[in-house]
Amino acid sequence: MATPSIIGQKNKKGQVYTDPWYMLHEAPRTPSFFTGSEVIKEAIRRASVDVMIAYPITPQSEAAALIGELFAEGYVGDYFRGESEFAVMSECAGAAFGGARVFTTTAGPGTMRAMENFPMWAGSRLPIQMIVTCRGINSPLSIQPDTLEMAYLLQTGMLVWHAETAQDFYDWILKGYMVAEEPDVHLPLALCCDGFFVTHTKDMVELTPADMCLPPYDPYRSPVPCMDMECPPVRMMRDPFVMKSNYISYATHASWQQEVWAAVERSRKHTIAWLDGLIDAENVESDVVIVASGTAVSQGREAVAMLADEGIDVGLVKVKTIRPWPGEEIREATKHAKHIVIPEFNIIGWLAREVKATIPNNERVHAGPHVAGGMTMPPEIIVGEIKSLLGMKVETLATRGS
Amino acid sequence: MATSSYKVLPGPEHFLPPAAAAMGIRLPNPGEAHIHGEIVPEEKAMEVAAKQFLMAKVPTIFPGPLVLWAWNEKAAQKAKAVRHLFETIKECVTPSQRPMLIPMPDYRPKYPKINPEIEINPNHPNLTIWHNKIDTCMFVGVHCHQANLSLKIIRGGTSCYTIAMCAQAGHEDAMLSFRDATAEKILKLAEWIKKLKGTVGPSQ
Amino acid sequence: MSLERIKIAPELYDIMPPEYQDLVQRATYGKESRGWKDIGTTKELIEEHSLCAGCPESMAFRYILASLPNPEDTVMVGSTGCTSLVFPHVAVHNIHSLFGNQNAVASGLKRALALRFPGRIKDVVVLAGDGATVDIGLDMTLQSWFRQEKFTTICFDNELYANTGGQESGLMQKGFVAKMAPVGKTFEKVRLPEIARESGCHYVVNCTVSKPNLVEKVVKNAVYVAREIGPTYIQFYTPCILEIGKNSMEGLQEMRDAEKPNERFAYKEYVSDAAKELLAEIAAKEKERKAAAKKQLAGQNA
Repeated sequence: MATPSIIGQKNKKGQVYTDPWYMLHEAPRTPSFFTGSEVIKEAIRRASVDVMIAYPITPQSEAAALIGELFAEGYVGDYFRGESEFAVMSECAGAAFGGARVFTTTAGPGTMRAMENFPMWAGSRLPIQMIVTCRGINSPLSIQPDTLEMAYLLQTGMLVWHAETAQDFYDWILKGYMVAEEPDVHLPLALCCDGFFVTHTKDMVELTPADMCLPPYDPYRSPVPCMDMECPPVRMMRDPFVMKSNYISYATHASWQQEVWAAVERSRKHTIAWLDGLIDAENVESDVVIVASGTAVSQGREAVAMLADEGIDVGLVKVKTIRPWPGEEIREATKHAKHIVIPEFNIIGWLAREVKATIPNNERVHAGPHVAGGMTMPPEIIVGEIKSLLGMKVETLATRGS
Repeated sequence: MATSSYKVLPGPEHFLPPAAAAMGIRLPNPGEAHIHGEIVPEEKAMEVAAKQFLMAKVPTIFPGPLVLWAWNEKAAQKAKAVRHLFETIKECVTPSQRPMLIPMPDYRPKYPKINPEIEINPNHPNLTIWHNKIDTCMFVGVHCHQANLSLKIIRGGTSCYTIAMCAQAGHEDAMLSFRDATAEKILKLAEWIKKLKGTVGPSQ
Repeated sequence: MSLERIKIAPELYDIMPPEYQDLVQRATYGKESRGWKDIGTTKELIEEHSLCAGCPESMAFRYILASLPNPEDTVMVGSTGCTSLVFPHVAVHNIHSLFGNQNAVASGLKRALALRFPGRIKDVVVLAGDGATVDIGLDMTLQSWFRQEKFTTICFDNELYANTGGQESGLMQKGFVAKMAPVGKTFEKVRLPEIARESGCHYVVNCTVSKPNLVEKVVKNAVYVAREIGPTYIQFYTPCILEIGKNSMEGLQEMRDAEKPNERFAYKEYVSDAAKELLAEIAAKEKERKAAAKKQLAGQNA
């Protein structure tokens, strides 16, 4: 966030730098019918982004190209297509080292190819925002929705948020910069969504006024020196090796890693304020609680409604941030539950693993249902799993149509 | 969020002490400070910090690059305030106390080691603390990342009481931390030291 | 830091370590005619380094830092290797992020600085070894040239991976026996200077660092051309005396041998027409400046 004096001034496109809290919580909203990709564009139009670097990979290509249109219109400072995701993430790092607000998007194999950059971003305290439109990563190749790649991002030191809807996306892109750029946080943010389900479907989204934008990024509030030869110390390397073979070097390196994770912890306070909590919990007094993130939440919500029609009471926890991990919130929200059902769009069930590691009596966790490789998750299969847990008779969906 | 039972206290704490943030310690909001991880009004922290300086055998200020270099007007003002604070401490302590003003001029790893009499380095700040037998110190003008490294390493291996005069959000890894530091805030601390002069002294 | 910011707060000047007092008093930031001759009479921008005694890379490093035309507005990008042991001690902001991504980092950095400081000089100079430039980072090296990114790439070519203990690299000579080339390298030294020319570099030089005045000239030219026109590339032979079995004092002779006519590092340059024009303009201005200074000096003496 910049100094207050910038608030009220206009940028070259005539947008007014607006107090972010006012802009996102109080300013009038206009309902608009957009695809997820278009929503990304509309958020970035209002985000005062300096540099966006793009690379084509389905399903984020459209969003990445739309930001290019914003650049052509003058809403984004600089924009180009990089040569690979590894290079793009390094180019993003360069721009962030130089004091720019940076944005990029990637997906699936691109996330994996770029992976070496992410712990570097976090270790260097670069508050880059990266949209991840999750898709399959394994052979055989799949461009379809699958959230497996998120599991790999969880230990990088990045903030990892999981948007359910296009509306989440819109708000969280803007709020994401506010959290990530706090000097006590100052970490990269992976803002993830389930590819296609969010990016390529149209949804009603409430947009903030197009003539309001976030104040610009102020690199001199960074917890580390900006590399522009405008701030001290002049003798400065980002980031020097501490790898002589002695206890002091090892301890320094360890302390550095601890500091990155401390920054993730510090993001809680800001994230709770901006996202109104790390989780949303509904009806968690029930015996059965669904815990989900991303579009699995939407499917869970459908399942809850279907079960309610049959008189079965089920609660729902929407996990908004995976890093920071809302361990206490989930412990609290699941304390009455006898069964905790965790539907996921990936084969390994990383969300269930995280929950199991967090709560007491974790035999209550039912890891599933799982779908992968682009399969949809009909709410009926969640309903089915819950009914079987409750000892009720269930017809298998697989027989439908036979 | 449950309140943490962890207290940020002088060490030596551990082979590798935890970051206080990981132990549930949260940073103060504007107008507040923290002492040992507990949020307090800023005035309270002013009083406690002033007493710490007056009670220390070797009360020390560690100014960092953001105040050592006159890279903008605010920095120049803070440098003046830091010097004033140091002179005030010198005036207000007894002859047995030995105030020091030691810079952290940069953050580079220096090998085989720094000269602990003339500088402190974030990669091994304990060396300067040990060498000079510093029992209370205040960081000012150090970038937050490097300040946290220093504060944590000091807490790990020394018994020094650490204070952070932070221009941003403050430091949980210090035993006492201010936030949103300005030249005025630094001068105010000097006023507190003057005011409390003679009320407390070093333990024998 | 930008020139007017490189000053120590007067109230804290006395406690600054002598190396920093020296830096503000005797370094050549902002000096118009700075160059290799300042070495020995002024404060150098490298404080210290942990390279081997007699390492030609350390000489090259000092010459380059003495020659950068505007160090107060230059940000350097390095990569993993022996250079990254020196960079923490360099009084110019510099970045190490990963092994081989230096030209990608520099691309983003240069664009950010151009955006944040329009109309001002903000030079970006990459300095990396041959493994980083030609092997692991080749894609990003070339792509930055294709995109006409406006920064200078300097490769310290020691014809092997020195920091990891002497493994084969793409710039190694054919037939050289090294770690990971147990029967000798089976293919020719990669011709990166030629590739640089074809990839769009406007100023390309291949030489050794045996002559400091030559290093000064090519570094200045490369930075000026990158600032105004587009990418530039310098490949300096900085032999690893340790890995080729030489003694500390033999580095200079090794370079002199390697720069003889028809040898690998015989001086070679490519300059684009646009760069030629720019360098001629700069040379003319420099001549004028020197003449004026001479005249003024004559006037003072008269």
